[in-house]
Amino acid sequence: MRARDNPFAVHRIHALRFRLTEDGWRELLARLHALALRAAIVGPEGAGKTLLLEELGARLGSLGLAPRLLTLHRGERQPAPAARAALLAGLGGGDVVLVDGADELGSLAWSSLRRATRAAGGLVVTSHRPGLLPTVWTCGTSVELLADLVRELVGRAEAEALRPRLVALFDRHRGDLRAALRALYDLYGASPATVGPLPGA
Amino acid sequence: MSWLRVELDEGRASFRPGEVVRGTASWSLDAPPAAVEVRLIWFTQGKGDRDVGLVESVPAAAPGAEGGLSFAFILPDGPYSFSGTLVSLLWAVEAVALPASDAASAELVVSPSGREILLPRETPDAGAR
Repeated sequence: MRARDNPFAVHRIHALRFRLTEDGWRELLARLHALALRAAIVGPEGAGKTLLLEELGARLGSLGLAPRLLTLHRGERQPAPAARAALLAGLGGGDVVLVDGADELGSLAWSSLRRATRAAGGLVVTSHRPGLLPTVWTCGTSVELLADLVRELVGRAEAEALRPRLVALFDRHRGDLRAALRALYDLYGASPATVGPLPGA
Repeated sequence: MSWLRVELDEGRASFRPGEVVRGTASWSLDAPPAAVEVRLIWFTQGKGDRDVGLVESVPAAAPGAEGGLSFAFILPDGPYSFSGTLVSLLWAVEAVALPASDAASAELVVSPSGREILLPRETPDAGAR
């Protein structure tokens, strides 16, 4: 299958929305305001924390706040100086700092960033573990959630045919949906057909 | 209802490097945009993050809520349009209205034959003697 036709290509994964109802969003925003917009989204690898943070940023933007995003990659113990400077330049009460992967930071870098963002109207981070800031939302995964995402990508019938494979992938990747979706990319990439259930599915 | 579209002349979508891509971007938006840009780009799709190359960009001067812009881009020598199992490289002319980022695009193929190059699938014994 051509990469562009693969239903699990990254651009299609990125187009998926975080599964949260409007009531869920209202609850999340109410909790966030109760925590003075200083809080953490917590969850394991591949549970949608980054997606939720990005969508939260858009929601906060529509409420008149200006989100500023800092993304930290694996092993990035402190932000790059240029990225840190851009994040903090002219920071004010109308800004909300969003830090994706805050638990990658070393303790000194985290303390420094936390101090430096005091002037901001909010600081929301994602982390694999609780404790950096009060937890506002815990992301979890399930086979049902994986099946729901796959249904959106390949359609109901094909997702049903894939069901046994989804259960196995969910277990193999210990609930990491990103890893499971990557594995599905490889399965489809190896398939000569552009659509239809995979051999053995 | 607002719309934005890109049309290539004569509906042509296959080109060779060095040829000229001509067409028209047109729009009808709810309000005058701050700017409209028409861009010739290539981009990747596949397992990894998307790479994008901007080849040329043409701005519309003082665009109104309704308008159009003709374009003529000379295609560079490459990269060629191709697809493998891990990555595809595609070409497009896209029109973007700012700041709302309303966008439309028309895909095209760029290669010496005018057809997308299909990379052979790797097989487990590929390269084995």
